[in-house]
Amino acid sequence: MNKWKMREIVVMSVLSVVFAVVYLAFLPVGKLLVGFFGPIGYDLIFGIWFIVSIIAAYIIRKPGAAFLSETIAAIIEVMLGNAVGPMLIISGMIQGLGAEAVFAVTRYRMYNVWVLMAAGMGSAVFSFVWGYFLSGYAALASPYVAAMFIARLISGAVIAGLLGKAISDALAKTGVLYNFELGKEHRRNKHGAA
Amino acid sequence: MNLQELNPSMKAITIVLAVFLLAFVFDPITPLLFSSGVVILTFLFGRVSWKIWSLYFVPFLIIAFGFFWTTLIFADTGSQAGTIVDLGFLTFSHSDFQVAISLALRVLGFALLSLLFILTTNKTEFLLSLMQQLKLSPKIAYGVLAGYRFLPMMMTEWKAIRMAHRIRGVRRGKGISGRVQEMKRYVIPLLASAIRKAERTAIAMESKGFTGSKERTFYRNMKVTPKDWVFLGVMLSLYGVSVYCSVRWGYFQWYDGQL
Repeated sequence: MNKWKMREIVVMSVLSVVFAVVYLAFLPVGKLLVGFFGPIGYDLIFGIWFIVSIIAAYIIRKPGAAFLSETIAAIIEVMLGNAVGPMLIISGMIQGLGAEAVFAVTRYRMYNVWVLMAAGMGSAVFSFVWGYFLSGYAALASPYVAAMFIARLISGAVIAGLLGKAISDALAKTGVLYNFELGKEHRRNKHGAA
Repeated sequence: MNLQELNPSMKAITIVLAVFLLAFVFDPITPLLFSSGVVILTFLFGRVSWKIWSLYFVPFLIIAFGFFWTTLIFADTGSQAGTIVDLGFLTFSHSDFQVAISLALRVLGFALLSLLFILTTNKTEFLLSLMQQLKLSPKIAYGVLAGYRFLPMMMTEWKAIRMAHRIRGVRRGKGISGRVQEMKRYVIPLLASAIRKAERTAIAMESKGFTGSKERTFYRNMKVTPKDWVFLGVMLSLYGVSVYCSVRWGYFQWYDGQL
């Protein structure tokens, strides 16, 4: 934690706050989908709930960014008062760990689109294992569970990985990330091209 | 005793523990009894308003129902033997029905436990307690508190961006790609200004001497009192009684990757 600059921590918290609101806004969407499709409804859009890990890690590029941002987002969700409660903090930590594991494998050096998608899938795997235990998915038929898993993997790769990267890159273009790793990379690329 | 007076960290740990314990059991009776106890505790000691509670609870009823019917249809029980449960237009084997109702009640049990926590906990106290009892780094905790205070500002900002677009005649997006473009026009400026503000806040915090060291003192001290242990004890006994009744009535079943 000592290697982190205060600005990185506050920016990460703010990102987590913004996405905590987004996460809460997507809960009713998920509930609606669950009402129609059963438990698989959540998995279709599950990637949205991993997105802050990807964005924070991609922008800040320090060990712990994926884990901490997701954990903070979960704490904020609890503070804002959602009904999943303190359990959600543990779910957030587990999702964050999934993404963090992927970044750790690359030793926090590679942040290309494939790594980001893999990180989204990492969160999907971790959160699915957790959900399997907690929600009693085992009571469902195995093809259905497999479909849920695949839906969540794709959702993690596309919504968290690709959309997360797109949002971060668009932010870097505005110049506000001047002091962050992603902003530096964008500047280097610009100068390289010119 | 009042649930509001409990230490937030201890309360959170108790709730999480209860969720864990409940997750190990898979029968209809244990969660039913346990949840009823939780609801009674919430209203007896929580000073929670019925209206707010219901507002949070209704969505979970819908989820539980979603779980219920998909489990009925997709349940993996293998054996079709057993009594038939007749729902008028559909029939199911008795074991399928029991699995479905167990799963639904379990989801409701988790939700009720969470409601007890959320509706009786002060946010700032929760964070202070995370720092003081669970040794969350002050750097993160105050970073989060600062970020949390940004929310109302961002709401204002969102309105300002919307009005700025309108007054310049930017049309609302049509179709899916139009909607995506519209979202992008809102989200990126909103995030960009939030990041700028966050950087300024960080500089302000450091210039006022915030080091983030763990040896800081607090204006508000959060303490763990005997009340917290009483609450833990009450929840554990409630669980014990629920399991005991379930065993006595012959419903009890462990959760071991059922069926």
